[in-house]
Amino acid sequence: MQDLKTDVLVIGAGPAGSMTAKWAAKQGAHVLVIEKRQEIGSPVRCGEGMSKDWLPEVGIKPGKWINLEVEGARIFAPNETVFEINEKSAGNEVGYVVERDGFDKALAIDAANAGAEFLLKTAAVGVLKDGGRVVGARVKQFGEPFEIRAKVTIAADGFESQVGRWAGLSTNISTRDMDSCLQYRMTNVDCDTRYCDFYLGKIAPGGYVWIFPKDQGLANVGIGVQLSKITGMAEARKYLDDWIAKHPAYAKGKKIDMVGGGVSISPPVKQSAADGIMIVGDAARMIDPLTGGGIANGCIAGKICGTVAANSVHAGDFSKAFLDRYDRGWRARLEEKLYRNWLAKEKLCTLSDEIFNKLVDALSTVHLQKLSVHNILKAVRDKHPEITQEFAEFL
Amino acid sequence: MPSKKTLHIESSGQLCIYCGACVGVCPLNCIYLDETRITFDEKICTRCEICVKACPVGAIEID
Repeated sequence: MQDLKTDVLVIGAGPAGSMTAKWAAKQGAHVLVIEKRQEIGSPVRCGEGMSKDWLPEVGIKPGKWINLEVEGARIFAPNETVFEINEKSAGNEVGYVVERDGFDKALAIDAANAGAEFLLKTAAVGVLKDGGRVVGARVKQFGEPFEIRAKVTIAADGFESQVGRWAGLSTNISTRDMDSCLQYRMTNVDCDTRYCDFYLGKIAPGGYVWIFPKDQGLANVGIGVQLSKITGMAEARKYLDDWIAKHPAYAKGKKIDMVGGGVSISPPVKQSAADGIMIVGDAARMIDPLTGGGIANGCIAGKICGTVAANSVHAGDFSKAFLDRYDRGWRARLEEKLYRNWLAKEKLCTLSDEIFNKLVDALSTVHLQKLSVHNILKAVRDKHPEITQEFAEFL
Repeated sequence: MPSKKTLHIESSGQLCIYCGACVGVCPLNCIYLDETRITFDEKICTRCEICVKACPVGAIEID
């Protein structure tokens, strides 16, 4: 393979990468996307639940990748008291269960239609530097090495996030800020297709068990466990298997698929742009630390990233100072909520099952017009004043 | 200096599901995932064992 040249090189064809590629191409930049896998979106590494209110903002139209639309979410306390979050109380936060591979492909098709080129089976193995500036990547396609020179390089390489680190951007996370996750696709289960379910407590320390229904009798059953609470090997699997064994509606099910992975539950990176490079999506630790959801934030930041990339090409300025427009842009849009949810996660990770029970009880019995920190705290104070102290820092 | 422990990453597919959790969590960025092969840099690795715990299926062992 001969060495290549492009305006914008996007590394990774997940949602954040394809979204960046689409918006950069739409605005006139020549865009090349490289993907190390042979098939975009596959194998799936995702719980496949996502909110839907953000889709119009980034120009994604609902497509065949939607499995079903849920009415709401149910939060189960350790004693299995239920608190239901519906469209009324949570706005449009509730949403779809999706075929994630189809979703990723749909976004790649959007990017390709906007003019972006894709190279499959092509992995980045290093970054090219000129002085301190990143000027592309060293890649391997079918094992054959070559170079791609780019005016702007985008690291959209997901949780593994090596490209940003090669470029000198810190994406390290502490063990408190990561969940080790495992999920089975299970058939022959009694799931409720109206809800995404979340089970809290010491059954999943520092995380939760999720049930995202795909169809009647078919669901993604998964778990996330905070790394700092793991003491031995394969604990995510043990916790999940224990939970399933104790729930007859799922114990009778049959596993037809298994996925694993890491999910960051950290604050976002301190620096997302440097000379010639930007990082976006899971690679930039943009996952919502409370829910573990990364698609929406990755796409929203991707749109901003692609726009800034195109602008920088037109301006002929690839400096950190220019690319920091992206840094400021996504922070203005996402950072406040990311920090707020990180603080909430930090708190929830410390709660005992007893407090979880009281918290969910308060939420389920007090009628909430709208889900907000203020309303939640008020419900707790009205129903279980004895645990108000636990949440003093939020008052 | 005490001799380093040995890190074993089972990436033949018997245990490993190639999810990349170990790669992302490595504080020294010395674990590499190449399709269906996971390798790590012996010289950089400090045997901090974070990857051992991060692996959801127990494919990484240290002794």
